[in-house]
Amino acid sequence: MTEIAKADAMRLMVPPEITPGIRAAIIVAVVGVVSAIIAATCGGYWLSNLTQAYCMVIAVLGCALLYGQLGLVTLCQWALVGVGGWVSLRVYHYIHPPFFVTILAGGVGASVIGMIWGLPALRMRGLYLALVTLMLAGAFQTLVFVISFPVGGPGFLGQVGASGNDRINMARPIFAASDTAYFLFVAVVTVLCIFLVEAHRRSKPGRAWALIRKNEQMAVAAGVRIVFYKAWAFALSGFLAGVAGALLAGLFGQLDASAFPTTNSIVIFIGTLLGGYDVWLGAFLGGILTRFIPALLIDLNVNTNVGFMLFGAALLFALRDPLGLGGQLTILAERLYGKFQAQRAS
Amino acid sequence: MIKIDALTVRFGGIRPLDALEAQFSAPICGLIGPNGAGKTTLLNVLSGFVTPIEGTILLNDAVLLGLSPRRRVSLGLRRTFQQELVVDELTAMENIQAVADHVSADYASARREVASALDFVGLSSRRNVLGRHLNLYDRRMVEIAKTLIGRPKVILMDEPGAGLNEAETEQLRRLLVEIPAAFATQLVLIDHDADLIASVCVETLVLDFGKRLAMGPTRAVLDDPVVRHAYLGRE
Repeated sequence: MTEIAKADAMRLMVPPEITPGIRAAIIVAVVGVVSAIIAATCGGYWLSNLTQAYCMVIAVLGCALLYGQLGLVTLCQWALVGVGGWVSLRVYHYIHPPFFVTILAGGVGASVIGMIWGLPALRMRGLYLALVTLMLAGAFQTLVFVISFPVGGPGFLGQVGASGNDRINMARPIFAASDTAYFLFVAVVTVLCIFLVEAHRRSKPGRAWALIRKNEQMAVAAGVRIVFYKAWAFALSGFLAGVAGALLAGLFGQLDASAFPTTNSIVIFIGTLLGGYDVWLGAFLGGILTRFIPALLIDLNVNTNVGFMLFGAALLFALRDPLGLGGQLTILAERLYGKFQAQRAS
Repeated sequence: MIKIDALTVRFGGIRPLDALEAQFSAPICGLIGPNGAGKTTLLNVLSGFVTPIEGTILLNDAVLLGLSPRRRVSLGLRRTFQQELVVDELTAMENIQAVADHVSADYASARREVASALDFVGLSSRRNVLGRHLNLYDRRMVEIAKTLIGRPKVILMDEPGAGLNEAETEQLRRLLVEIPAAFATQLVLIDHDADLIASVCVETLVLDFGKRLAMGPTRAVLDDPVVRHAYLGRE
C-alpha cells in the first residue's frame, strides 16, 4: 500500500463523535499543558522565541484557514503580520488605548488590507494567486523599509529621526508585564484565536467555504455568495495575522523593518503544510516549528539558512502526507479515544 | 412552468442549442438526447452559467435571462450536477444545512426543512455520517435533498441515476415520483436511462444537435420512430 493510499485509508476511518464542548476542552488542555511546561522551564532567549512561536501559530491559523477551507495559496501572511504590527503601534502611539484595543486595531487593520490583497483571489487560484500574493509581500517589505514602524514620533509615520533617542516602546498590559506573564497572555490569545477559527469552520461560513472549495458552480447553485465568503475568509485570515503582529509589537515594544522579509511568508506556508491545514493542532505544531527550528539553529551556532534546507526537506514529508503532523496526531488520538469508548461500553 | 423561446447558444462555431422552442408544464418532465445533444447546456442556460446569444426563458412568468445564478436560486430554481458533489468533510446533514443557510427564510425553517428533506430521502438515521463515508446512493440522496430546501419551484436534475444499480434506480424512481406533490414543485430530469424516464416523466423533450427533435407525452415521444432512430439507434 502506498503512503497516499495509507493516508486515504486512515481518513476513511469513522472518527468518534466529539462535541464542541469536548473539542474546546481538548484545545484548552493541550495548549494549556504545553504553555505551562514552557512557562515553568524556559526563560530569556527561549521564552522570547516561544512567545514569537505562539504569534506564528496565530499567523499559521489564518494561512491554514485559507488553504484548508478554500484551497487558496497565499504567500503574504507574514507581510500581514507586519501590517498588524504597524497599525497597532500607530494606534498605540496616537491614543495609548488599553492593550486589548491595540490588538484589535492591529487585527482590524490587517483584516482590511488582507481583504484588499485577497481581491485577486476572486479571479485567480493556485500558482497565479501564490505569485501575486508573494509580490504583495515583496511590496510590503520594500515599503516598510522606507517608512519603518512608528516609534512615537510626530506625524503619520511616527518617526523620531536618526538618533532614535526618543523612541517610545509599546507598553504591555500591567498583568502581563514580565516575560513569563506575557507569554501566558499570548497563549490565552492563541486559544481564543483557535476558538474563533473553529467556530467559523463549524458554522455557516465554514459550510459555505466547504461548498466553494468543492465546486464554485455548485456553491452558486446553492445560493452561496462567492465573493462575500471569499472576502470573509481573507478578512479573518488577515485579522489573525494582524493580532499576531500586535502581539509581537507588545513583546518587543517596537518592531524592526528587517524582521519582515518576504521569505517568512513562504516559511509560514510551509509550516501550514507541515503541521496540517485541516485541524487546529496542525496550525499549532506548524506555527511552533517555524520559529523553533531557526531559534534552535541560532542556539547551536549553525547558520540560520540551514533552516530553509530543513524546511525544504520537511516539505517532501508534507507532500507525501497531506494530513501533516497535526492530522496524524489527531487521527491517532481519535483512534485511542474510540478504543477507550469501546472498552468502556463493553 | 418553464417556457423557452428561440433559445440559441454559440460556442465559437458550434451551436449546442439552436433556436430551441419548448415548454415544460407537467409535474415531471424529461430531457433526453444523444451525447452532445445540448441537454446539459440547456440546464446550464437555465441555471445562469451559460449566456445564450438570443432567445427568452420564462419561469412562471418571470424572465430568467439577465438574472444572476443566485437570483435564479432565490426565484426557486434548484439543480443537481452530473457529478455528485457531496462535501466529504461535512456530514450528510451539514451538506444539506449548507444549502439551507442560504435559501431558507430563517433559522427555524432551515432546521425544519433540513429534517424534512433528510426524512424524505431516507437519510435521517445517517444524518451525522461524514460525506466521505456515504455510499454512492446515499450521496445521490444528499444531492437530491439539497434541492428540496427553501420551497423550490423547479428542480433540474442532471442524471441523478448515474452509477446506481437496478435496485437503487427503482428506489430513486419511487422517490422522484413523490417529489412534485410532496414539495409543490416541478421536476425536469435528464437521464440516459430511457426506462427511468418512461416510468417517471409525464412529458419529455428530445434534443438532437441542439434542436428540438420531439416533445410531448413521454410514451408517445419514446415510441416516435424518428426519436428511436436518433436516440435509441433503432427503428
